[in-house]
Amino acid sequence: MAQNNLTGYILIEGGESSVRGIVLITDPKGFPADCHYTEPVRPTKPERILYGSSFDSYAKEELILSSLLDSVEFDPQLWICNDEDILEPLRKSAKIKTVMLEESPHVPLEAAGAVESLPENGVYLIQTEEHGNPLRAEFPANTRQDEVQQTAKMLTENAKTMSILEPFDRMRKLLDLKGAE
Amino acid sequence: MALDGIKKYFSRHVHRRIHTYTPDDAFMIDLPETHSYIRRRVETFKLEANIGVNTAKIELHTPDVRVKGLRVKIYTKQDVKIHAYKTRNKINVYSALKQLQAMPQERVNIIKLIKNKPSSSKNEIMLACYYPVVEGAVLKLALNKQRGTLLVWYNPGSRQLKARSVYLIRRLGLDAKTEWRWV
Repeated sequence: MAQNNLTGYILIEGGESSVRGIVLITDPKGFPADCHYTEPVRPTKPERILYGSSFDSYAKEELILSSLLDSVEFDPQLWICNDEDILEPLRKSAKIKTVMLEESPHVPLEAAGAVESLPENGVYLIQTEEHGNPLRAEFPANTRQDEVQQTAKMLTENAKTMSILEPFDRMRKLLDLKGAE
Repeated sequence: MALDGIKKYFSRHVHRRIHTYTPDDAFMIDLPETHSYIRRRVETFKLEANIGVNTAKIELHTPDVRVKGLRVKIYTKQDVKIHAYKTRNKINVYSALKQLQAMPQERVNIIKLIKNKPSSSKNEIMLACYYPVVEGAVLKLALNKQRGTLLVWYNPGSRQLKARSVYLIRRLGLDAKTEWRWV
């Protein structure tokens, strides 16, 4: 696997009845370099008995995340996910910087690149673009402050050429298309 | 043996206690590896006097006992079939690179967020602003009129990375028309 300035996105959706996931590696423009998705994972009868309401956690971490990570051909410099359930396992498996990002209603910070910590442990606001609200960024436990700053720098740099959260929309659309087929 | 039976009889009918046995090895079910995050709960139920447990046949004479929503059926030891259960650890993964490369990226209108708009003539109205768009890599632009968003298709082979804003401007007057302007 080659090391480069790619960004990895992981989207996992679903609940107790069915879970599915998709991984996307983009270049700095947001253009896809690699993309794989899983079939919907539904619990078998023994799994329903064994895992009960924990099936979605099991499916996300043990089945979908590991399968998606095994499928990618490039190592991104940063992994972005949409689900806090997979934040820690993703960090553990990928062994690179990992963050969960989502929109926030907070007022814009002073400038692009600004970082502000929130009361929740490991949660920050990052102003990636000059315009608009900062993003809410949740980091895995024990992420060092310098890693948070490096991640914020990467995101701010990427935001100059792409919309940071937009790939998740494309990934959802693709999963919907595949679900409808 | 007879004394033991009498003890058990009185224990059950006077003290409402039943004797329990540890199942032998033949009855042990080989459970797969479990995971620390799985939430487990052990529940114990006090058996009423009208519930009898025959340990020889392993029968539970009640129709109402529920374990995690599953009705416990009356069964005998002979009915228990032990199968090896293998957890799945990999699932099918498919490539969707071509489909995703054909999909446009979408930019939202940020005109309301722009504090310092570029100067424009009096006969122009700035309708929308989309950022960031890498001008040199653009293959096609399209306005999604329903959502007010800009759809951007990039050239896969382009290595351009210089992004700009693209404004949608409407000219007023006799030559009224809408045009794109890169800033």
